[in-house]
Amino acid sequence: MAIATQNADSAPHEHSAARYYLIYFVLLVLTATTYWTARHVHFGSWNLAIALAIAVTKATLVVLFFMHLIDHKGTAAMVFAASVFFVLLLSGLVVTDNATRFPLSNPPEATPELKRNQLPPPPTGADDTWRSGSSGI
Amino acid sequence: MHTQREGQPYLADHFGSLESQIDASRLGMWMFLGTEVLLFGPLFTAYALYRFLYPAAFQAASHHLDIAYGTINTLILITSSLTVAMAVHFAKVGKNKRVVAMIVLSLLAGFAFLGIKSVEYAHKFHEGALPGKYYALEAVKEPGASLFFAIYFLATGVHALHVIIGMSVLVWIGWRAARNTISPEYYVPVELGGMYWHLVDLIWIFLYPLLYLI
Repeated sequence: MAIATQNADSAPHEHSAARYYLIYFVLLVLTATTYWTARHVHFGSWNLAIALAIAVTKATLVVLFFMHLIDHKGTAAMVFAASVFFVLLLSGLVVTDNATRFPLSNPPEATPELKRNQLPPPPTGADDTWRSGSSGI
Repeated sequence: MHTQREGQPYLADHFGSLESQIDASRLGMWMFLGTEVLLFGPLFTAYALYRFLYPAAFQAASHHLDIAYGTINTLILITSSLTVAMAVHFAKVGKNKRVVAMIVLSLLAGFAFLGIKSVEYAHKFHEGALPGKYYALEAVKEPGASLFFAIYFLATGVHALHVIIGMSVLVWIGWRAARNTISPEYYVPVELGGMYWHLVDLIWIFLYPLLYLI
């Protein structure tokens, strides 16, 4: 039967176990790197970017080689990438929303560099002139 | 229950071949793992938003966590990911005794992780680093610090729940390997259960730097 002959091909070719030890070693090195940079390197807000870049690298290695996404069909990658994309969309838009609001609507420490004289002028009509309709505009 | 075709004990009736059956199993698992990512997504979003709003408080609260606990737990989880990957490897080549050995090692790592986590939780409870109105930590008093600990407990708590579920799945895999109900022709349970465990590691890879390091 034709179906039976397909079984030989069904299991992806098994790589030697050395691949897993190599990935493990790289993960350990990356963990040491992220620990070291967080403790001893002070780039200010760049530290967050470095830590996240290392985390993304580690996660990619785990997904591709430990979870074997690299051996699986393309639809699997599409499904997983879609969920990651939506998480990025959610978190990215939520933060962007708050970052682009009128500064005083956020807690003061969110914009510590902001001086009071750099604030944009309050919206016109903040006084009561609009009520009487006597605005000169 | 499905009927079994002659010579193909693992092949369900509604699949044309074992290959398409295994591909469908994998795709289903990736879909499930996608929903797991979406489950953790809002927790990471809450972290991103409140970190943006209260950067100083988040930094102070993060420095208050014991970095040693987080780092050791990271190493434990990465090591358990290796042993689970090796379990899948041995299942592929038909060495079921070694599959059991690797599963036992992974379970030990899971217990170690949860043990360290509970020591850490007990410490936090004791000093009052609790979420919401129960927050009473003397060392960090900035507004917003209680939000950090609320996210800390929610994210690590949901993650620890996944560790427990993952360990239960590993027990089941080990049981099947010990009884030789998996073989190089069909090791899908080991593979999918292993993927779940790797996802647990994956979430922690992001929690570790965000909570402990920065």
